[in-house]
Amino acid sequence: MEITIIKEYCKGCGYCIEYCPKKVYGKSKIMNKKGYLVPEVIDLEKCSECGLCDLYCPEFAIILEKGEGKHERN
Amino acid sequence: MTAMAKETPLVHPLVNQYLRPERMPHLACPGCGIGQVVHCTLNAVAELGLTPLNTVWVQGVGCSSRLSYALWKGDSIDAHHGRIFAVATGLKMCRPELNYILFTGDGDCASIGGNHFIHACRRNLDVVAIMFNNGIYGMTGGQVAPTTPLGASTTTTPHGNFEAPFDLCKVAEAAGASYVARWRAIDFKPLTHSIKKGIRIKGLAFIEVLLPCATNFGRYVLKTGDPGKVQKWINDRVVTLKKAESMSPEELKDKVLIGEFVERERPGVVESYQSLLKRLKEV
Amino acid sequence: MKGTKTGTFFVQGDEAIAEGAIAAGCRYFAGYPITPAQEIAEILAQRMPEIGGVCMQMEDELASIHSVGGASCAGFKAMTASSGPGISLKLEGLGWGIKNELPYVVVDIQRAGPSNGVATSVAQGDFYTVRYGSAGGNHALIALSPKSVQEAFDLTIECFNLAEIFRCPVFLLCDETVGHTREKLVIPDPSKIKIVERKKPAVPPEQFVLYPLDDDSVINYPFPSVGEGYSICVSPYTHTSKGYPSTEKVDQDKMARRLTNKIMKNVDKLTRVEKKYLEDAEVAVIAYGASARPALAAVEKARGNGMKVGFLRPIIVWPFPDEEIYSVAERVNFILVPELNTDGQMVREVARAAKGKAEVYHLGSGGVETHLPDEIWGEIRRLKK
Repeated sequence: MEITIIKEYCKGCGYCIEYCPKKVYGKSKIMNKKGYLVPEVIDLEKCSECGLCDLYCPEFAIILEKGEGKHERN
Repeated sequence: MTAMAKETPLVHPLVNQYLRPERMPHLACPGCGIGQVVHCTLNAVAELGLTPLNTVWVQGVGCSSRLSYALWKGDSIDAHHGRIFAVATGLKMCRPELNYILFTGDGDCASIGGNHFIHACRRNLDVVAIMFNNGIYGMTGGQVAPTTPLGASTTTTPHGNFEAPFDLCKVAEAAGASYVARWRAIDFKPLTHSIKKGIRIKGLAFIEVLLPCATNFGRYVLKTGDPGKVQKWINDRVVTLKKAESMSPEELKDKVLIGEFVERERPGVVESYQSLLKRLKEV
Repeated sequence: MKGTKTGTFFVQGDEAIAEGAIAAGCRYFAGYPITPAQEIAEILAQRMPEIGGVCMQMEDELASIHSVGGASCAGFKAMTASSGPGISLKLEGLGWGIKNELPYVVVDIQRAGPSNGVATSVAQGDFYTVRYGSAGGNHALIALSPKSVQEAFDLTIECFNLAEIFRCPVFLLCDETVGHTREKLVIPDPSKIKIVERKKPAVPPEQFVLYPLDDDSVINYPFPSVGEGYSICVSPYTHTSKGYPSTEKVDQDKMARRLTNKIMKNVDKLTRVEKKYLEDAEVAVIAYGASARPALAAVEKARGNGMKVGFLRPIIVWPFPDEEIYSVAERVNFILVPELNTDGQMVREVARAAKGKAEVYHLGSGGVETHLPDEIWGEIRRLKK
């Protein structure tokens, strides 16, 4: 499983943080070019690959690829 | 690091396959549910095997429509405010073999486009119409819409809305649409399922989607700019059809029902006209 | 063209227009019932399905013109027809067709106005409406006006051809007199009718530019339809050559110049007038449509009485034939423009094009009936004194 956050698409709405049932995401201090504070993965191990973050993101900024192991890509 | 910098920017696989990556990020405000609905639409399109070659997106004017314009990798027809059903009638009657997905808003569909919407349902035009209901005119800055609740404060009803809203799903049902449903943008599975059904069913599929507008509805009506709070306001007002069965009329008074209201596949204008042409040929 | 009804007939102008559309290859019509244009819809409702076309009665005038735009995007030659307030409504949709360079035809059977006026009677109040009525400006427009039933047929075909060549909506500016008068109509064999077909791109989608904004005068430009793999982007907003929305001044300017210049820089291909008795004329009468035949009769009466009067009739009324008018104005003392309106419409264009070389006078009337030749002849005599 690999989680990718496309920072430049993010608009800081916080849906991924709010709706992740396992609380994998949290707010970061990283700001993208448009000035939005993007989320970050705070606990990758908790991820159950439900895919809700991928679905909930209105900006297509999160890609969850299911598979072996647990990775994070920036 | 140099090699990585020269790579094309990473895009979501759905964006790569069905949208124009150069048009991303799209225009919606932070927290706007329109992106989620587009995501559900792309899921439905992918699951049914539709392609940019055989599917046309038609949209109107407003947040709902501006987002989807020139976003779809295939043909993208953006009509005047309220006229998508009329344009789609011309398109579908001439090229009935293509699939048409229409995106409209509460102002575009219920207000200026009301007449065309009613007649498209009457004709049971074989298209899918997804209406984004955020209860306000978003793009023009927060004016009252035909779906804005009574008493709400907007830029054109600063003393409170003195007109009652109406239920578009009931209008679609009365006018004759084959399939009518209402969901929230966050109801991913049922919404994707409805869009898939809408594409497959013969006749007009009208899917109303309730979604939060923090920028205008939130600010003017609910006095908050937090999309999460606007979403919560929506969540508190919706009731599924199943749950509504066990509720009294008083309990249902200010609630909005979500679910599939109508499913009655029957031929529409395209089929009627095709059989008319066939009949004349045989004479 | 399959479906062309070759033969000799005695029909109304409206029917000639319907048959002209079919002969030109029109296979989509959408309209809303309105006097005096509804005969076009009624005849096409009968004929279109018989030849595999589509004829729709839409819920209103706006839906009609927008569905015609949609049909054009779907690759069909399409037409709508109306009159009076119906044309006013259609002007909203016309802007969409102009901006996106969609080929289609709009028929205006002018009737007495303003507002509902006299539905069953003639006038010529829409001369400026069709040209400037669609808000926003930044475009030119092509309009043709027939004087007879035969011309109604011929010019309808010409409208469709020009729509394809210039990739734009074209008006047939007709009127209730021509629309409802019955006259002889000869429809030739299809092989003798010149038709311009929709041009399709010769290059693959990656190389094709949908809106040639960098060349403001190119015509005969391809227009692919939906479902052909060209991923066309059609929008009411100002857009780039690709069709993507833009708010840049440079894109707005390019687009505005193209929409104006593709017609105005090709005016030489859009000049068509009828001229009679102008070689030695001292006075000229300029009229179009329903006013043309009474005007010509008056001119011939004047000639019979020894007056040197000439006649000119614009057939393509927009773009206005400035050079033809100027060459007449240089030679004559004054020009009389009989028109069925009281506010003076074509007379203003004549005065502008004359550039002060001759006096220009208006013989106006609210409509309902055309001018009588004697009225025009009387006015010529009065002005000569």
